Amino acid sequence: MSTDQSNSTDEQPIHDHEDVDGPGYPTPAAMRTESEREKTAYVMAPRVGMETDGKDFVGVVDLDPESETYSELIDTVEMPNKGDELHHFGWNACSSSCHAEGLARQYLVVPGQRSSRIHIIDAEDPRNPQIVKIIEPEELFEYDLSAPHTVHCVPGGKIVISMLGNADGELPGGFLQLDQEDFTIDGRWEADTGEWEGMHYDYWYQPRHDVLVSTEWAAPNTYYPGFDLEDVEAGNYGDSIHIWDWSEKRHEQTLEFGEEGQIPLEVRMSHNPEETQGYVGAALSSNIIHFYETDNGTWDWDVVIEEEAREHDDWDMPVPSLITDTLLSLDDQYLFYANWLHGNLRMYDVSDMGNPRLVDTIWAGGLFGDRQEVQGTDIRGSPQMLQLSRDGSRLYWTTSLFSSWDNQFFPEIAEEGSLMFKADVYPDEGRMELDEEFLVDFGDAPGGPARAHEIRWPGGDCTSDVWQ
Amino acid sequence: MTCCDDPSHVVELRDADGTVGSIRIPTGESIVDAAESAGIDLPYGCLYGACGTCTARLLEGTCTHQEPPRALKDDVLEGGYVLTCVATPVTDCTLRVGHDVQAEAIGTPWR
Repeated sequence: MSTDQSNSTDEQPIHDHEDVDGPGYPTPAAMRTESEREKTAYVMAPRVGMETDGKDFVGVVDLDPESETYSELIDTVEMPNKGDELHHFGWNACSSSCHAEGLARQYLVVPGQRSSRIHIIDAEDPRNPQIVKIIEPEELFEYDLSAPHTVHCVPGGKIVISMLGNADGELPGGFLQLDQEDFTIDGRWEADTGEWEGMHYDYWYQPRHDVLVSTEWAAPNTYYPGFDLEDVEAGNYGDSIHIWDWSEKRHEQTLEFGEEGQIPLEVRMSHNPEETQGYVGAALSSNIIHFYETDNGTWDWDVVIEEEAREHDDWDMPVPSLITDTLLSLDDQYLFYANWLHGNLRMYDVSDMGNPRLVDTIWAGGLFGDRQEVQGTDIRGSPQMLQLSRDGSRLYWTTSLFSSWDNQFFPEIAEEGSLMFKADVYPDEGRMELDEEFLVDFGDAPGGPARAHEIRWPGGDCTSDVWQ
Repeated sequence: MTCCDDPSHVVELRDADGTVGSIRIPTGESIVDAAESAGIDLPYGCLYGACGTCTARLLEGTCTHQEPPRALKDDVLEGGYVLTCVATPVTDCTLRVGHDVQAEAIGTPWR
């Protein structure tokens, strides 16, 4: 079934178990094999900190190669306010609500990282999304929370959002829970935070194993203004991930990585709901860390990939690769990650997750990339947010990290906007190839240049869905 | 006319290319709000002093922050940087504004 079509109930994917239609797929393999090629992408497009000021928008990109507007930005949904910094986003419903009859994957939940404003966008018509509700910052501050980040729909008709700060933009943060149908605020998700400072960033969960894993960036008032080495020396950045009891909503264990795991950002657990393991990319240490449940029910970790810092003539210090985004294919066979400062993205065979094997690398932009232009356009920034087609054959990425960090490391993005690229992936051959025919230049966006950040498509993707 | 009869101050805004505008701001109104009312685009994000998107450099005059400027460290504040989303003028002021001031205030690892 096509998943880029209207989401009315009779067009849901074939879903024959228990005779109940829902918004997702019964298994990761069903999502990988029974969906069609992605034809539309939603891309977060912030204008915060751009030379030419403006409001952020959700970009709609045409990914249908049969279309006359293929590889073009075909619509923009502009936010009503300035200063949001759209960053990550999610759906009201996914495969975790597989048995929820009548529920559709219809609404995008789009937070502003800086404004703490949450937008609800109706994407029933995938090519004509519309803002239908706004949760204002003050409503979040009432729960002493700010800086919304990761959005996951969860079983039981709820949406849970990781929140990086309190109402002052300091620690502790927490989790905000929304109702899946009317998007009212239920309150905080967590029941018991235990004794720790409450630093947050991303999270993933595995309901079958009753676990949630959360990661750490820093307090908003630390990372918002930009990257300052003083904050690293002062210990203001995260170096741990946290294991939570999912059903009890209770903090259970801290895995402290120390020097080996500074700024652990994106967490990706296996899509296979039987598995109790995953990866987290430690951005500043530039290590990939494998974490897993042990026989006695506690969790442990190992560094399985290390990126070496490199000397650069223009830098005072060896340049860390900065692993900013990671992604697991739906069949859990390949790990992709971006080295945003160095300028490449890696493809690893992770069929044995504790022993990843490098199979391919694409260099494009960054400080060391040997390819610095595509179609005559200078690459502004470097591989950053990743999204993979459901069938694992096409990898897309954007080049902006975060407005203030962009402006320090790739200031040209602030003047000319960022870019979206694509590579063709050949999973059977363990390789990938940049598709030089594909390029979306957010510098040409109507209303002025924009950054480009997280990517999703209608019907779900490799970072949206969780299976019970 | 005494200062108390006219509790407002003239704030001149300059970016890298020169003057972008001059506005009279009543005491207590934030520079971002006053600029927006006057149709001048200044960068901003959180609007409560946490994020630093609105960082500007005070070239002349005095401003005061009406909420704690949490985005700026002490040495940056001492260097004359202010957060225009929570700052209001105490005297007539000249400010260097623009999207690039934030990175200048924090610095980079570049040589």
